[in-house]
Amino acid sequence: MKLDTLYLVLGMALVTFLPRFLPMAFLTRWVLPEKVKKGLDYFPISILSAIVFPILFFNGEGRMEIQHHFLLSSIPVFLFAWKVKSLWGSVILGMAIYWGLGFVL
Amino acid sequence: MRDAGFKEGAKAALPIVLGYLPVGTAFGVLARQAGLTPAEVGLMSLLVYAGASQFLAIEMIFKGIAWVPIVIATFFINLRHLLMSSTLSLYFGPNRLRTLGLLSAQLTDESFAVAMSNTSKIKNRPGYLFGLQITSHFTWIIGSVMGALFGGLIDHESFGIPFALPALFICLLLLQIRKVHHLYIMVIAGISSLFFKWALPGNWYIILTALFASGIGIAVETKLIPSPSMASGSEEPLARRGEGEPARRTSSSAGGVGEKNKG
Repeated sequence: MKLDTLYLVLGMALVTFLPRFLPMAFLTRWVLPEKVKKGLDYFPISILSAIVFPILFFNGEGRMEIQHHFLLSSIPVFLFAWKVKSLWGSVILGMAIYWGLGFVL
Repeated sequence: MRDAGFKEGAKAALPIVLGYLPVGTAFGVLARQAGLTPAEVGLMSLLVYAGASQFLAIEMIFKGIAWVPIVIATFFINLRHLLMSSTLSLYFGPNRLRTLGLLSAQLTDESFAVAMSNTSKIKNRPGYLFGLQITSHFTWIIGSVMGALFGGLIDHESFGIPFALPALFICLLLLQIRKVHHLYIMVIAGISSLFFKWALPGNWYIILTALFASGIGIAVETKLIPSPSMASGSEEPLARRGEGEPARRTSSSAGGVGEKNKG
């Protein structure tokens, strides 16, 4: 193994581990004020929105551009996921539609 | 750690497995092209285990960038885990640091989102979260090493693979919507994330969106801002409002989680 690659992997591992670990290590030992807890309740939904919507409207280089294949595939997945609430079903359906779209468009 | 929850957690990881195998494979292929050996790819997936930053690292290696700037970039990309780790901490008491360390080392966007899709399952159950996460992690390692070994044989742009994780995230997002209130937060977060991503470089938009949208959420809840949903009396969980939910089982358990969160 090249030394540079080893440093790269160890460095990446450390800076990734710390933000994952520190809140868990400290906050489980503290009693949080109610307001903070309420704010944390909204984190999952805001984080997930911030992951999903930019995927549909930004290209791989980070420039704003409607991702037609993603956007069109996402509509049936939104409906299916809303009605059926099945994770793996959504993944399979999404992949099938996206794959199919590739033949049509 | 290996209590009854472990198997259940491992099963809950199935959708992540579906997404991680192809994406991990794609990572392995690219990493190999960038000059990493299969062993190095496996080590990175084992120790770093963070999809977005691993892909970015490969891109930077392609451009001939040294390891220090890549580590710095990784740090900023993965700062968003601060928020997820803080949220998860609500569900675990003061466990041994070793347990918490193991759980948080394997925290990813996907496993976090699956864990949050039914918080009654993770509350004080490290075994469940461990099962969910180690299954996902294992898949990621296997996928990336396979990609590095047999990369040329698989076309990772085909079979709808690029849409596997986006589809997973869409469903995870919708599972979080249990009240009309949440729908507003989703719209606010969605629009502001587009703005933040457009306006700022890097991955800051995720953290900023989370802080901004949660801030609005608290402001409405503590009545700093009048709530549109209060007026129409729609604070009821969505499932009770006769939305025609066929998946009664899932929505009712999700509703229970919402009530638990209030306490």
